[in-house]
Amino acid sequence: MRSVLSDLDLYVRLIGASVRSQMQYRLNFAIRAFGDSLVVIGDFLPLYFLVRAFGGLQGWTLAEIALLYGMVETSWATIEGALWGFERFGPYLIEGRVDRWLLRPRGVILQVAAHWFEIRKLGRVAQALLVLGIAIWVLRLDGRGLAWVATGIAGGTLFFAAVVILGAATQFWTLGQTAELQNMLTYGGSAALTFPVSIYSTWFRRIVTYGVPLAFVNYFPALAALRRTAAAGWPAFVPWLSPIVCLGVLLAARAAFAQGLRRYESTGS
Amino acid sequence: MSFVGSVRAYLQFARCAFQRRAAYRLANWTGIAVNFFFFLVHAQLFVALFGTRGTVAGWQAAEAVRYFATSEALLMVLGVMSTQTGLEFAERVRSGDVAVDLVRPVRLWARYVAESYGSAAYYVLMRASILYVAAVALYGLALPLNPEVLLAPLSIALGVAMAATLMYLASASAFWTEQAHGPLSVLLVAIFFFGGIAVPLDFYPAPARLVADLLPFRGAVYTPVALASGKLRGVALLFGLLHQIGWLGVLVLVAQRIEQRGAAHLAVHGG
Repeated sequence: MRSVLSDLDLYVRLIGASVRSQMQYRLNFAIRAFGDSLVVIGDFLPLYFLVRAFGGLQGWTLAEIALLYGMVETSWATIEGALWGFERFGPYLIEGRVDRWLLRPRGVILQVAAHWFEIRKLGRVAQALLVLGIAIWVLRLDGRGLAWVATGIAGGTLFFAAVVILGAATQFWTLGQTAELQNMLTYGGSAALTFPVSIYSTWFRRIVTYGVPLAFVNYFPALAALRRTAAAGWPAFVPWLSPIVCLGVLLAARAAFAQGLRRYESTGS
Repeated sequence: MSFVGSVRAYLQFARCAFQRRAAYRLANWTGIAVNFFFFLVHAQLFVALFGTRGTVAGWQAAEAVRYFATSEALLMVLGVMSTQTGLEFAERVRSGDVAVDLVRPVRLWARYVAESYGSAAYYVLMRASILYVAAVALYGLALPLNPEVLLAPLSIALGVAMAATLMYLASASAFWTEQAHGPLSVLLVAIFFFGGIAVPLDFYPAPARLVADLLPFRGAVYTPVALASGKLRGVALLFGLLHQIGWLGVLVLVAQRIEQRGAAHLAVHGG
């Protein structure tokens, strides 16, 4: 417990330093935060245009799609900001800068995570929460529904953290060339999860349910929140699996990262 | 420098950019996987949206799938997916290294465009072709065989130059603010939204469509992609090409001016 607290303390201190450094170029920071907040509008407006042009999506209303979008975007934007330190993990490996982290008496994942927090992503989190809030208000979710939404967001946060760490882990073997691969499950995953998994054709649905368990991130919790689990043809216990599956993926990613770290052989410089 | 000499210099820049991309084969395959996943998501969504409906907003399901096969194949060719080269240029401005570039008898923006063509050539050969064939094979798509498609290479070439000039302009803001992350990220969103990357512009409501048609961004994505997937004909085709040519002219003029002003404004720290 004490070590967790001291890890947390270290994380907060280092994040504080990274935030201060980001505030040095104020004008650019402002424009960049503005650009990032536009992303949500840029994501959501085309979606609205589509649902409007087609008059709905297989029985899902715009508010329900907004719920899915708000949940997945909140989780992903949070992790994108909090684990931004992994963004340049490939170059760090190539330059041998991982040595430094190995020398210090703390976990490498913690140190990479703590060396940079991209604060402008908080603007995106706020926008995602706004979309989510409006969706919740329109759908009049009760306390039980809200608890499921929170569960989905928490599970999604674990899942996306796992993908980022797994993405970094693969780079021990490919030296940075697979840096983009995680985008498939982060940006691509959140794009796919903006829509109910049920609309996809059977083979694709199976891939995103059993292959890469994307459906557990927001689809099952959202079904539970909307009291639609049975109507969608799933047993009532399936949404309860969501946090367990997401945690499982995170533990697997941590193990893969540890495996990669064992393989790391600096640059000799 | 003579005309022939400068053409040769720009060709060399293009060649170097090509080789730089070619050095990372595995990265390209990774990119193909990512592009293909996005293609799948879009294709699956539109097939679900169309359901049993025949035509919506003048589009059929198979045409929408082909649009996304084309767009995911061309996004890297057009150079609208990443701000990496823009950020690198901005960093040269911040560090002062750009002074060395300015001494050379080449225009920075033209060099930027030349390098974009070099990358584009690599991505045509090693990414677009593979992605397109895989997508067409998976969905059993019919190839667009209308004669208008013959103009697609021209439109793609114009699109590459437009995207490169836009990126150059956004990163040249570093001459004044030392960093260009902000303008580059705003630009990327604008290209995404007004370029119709997630949803073809034909599905946009009239006011949004009008704004998209007036702004330059559709020329960097929508015009070449829609044309190459066989959806641009007649007046729409004529407008698309003239829009590209007109805006490219404007952007180039602005880029020239910005470069002169930026160079005059540049203060390199000694040492």
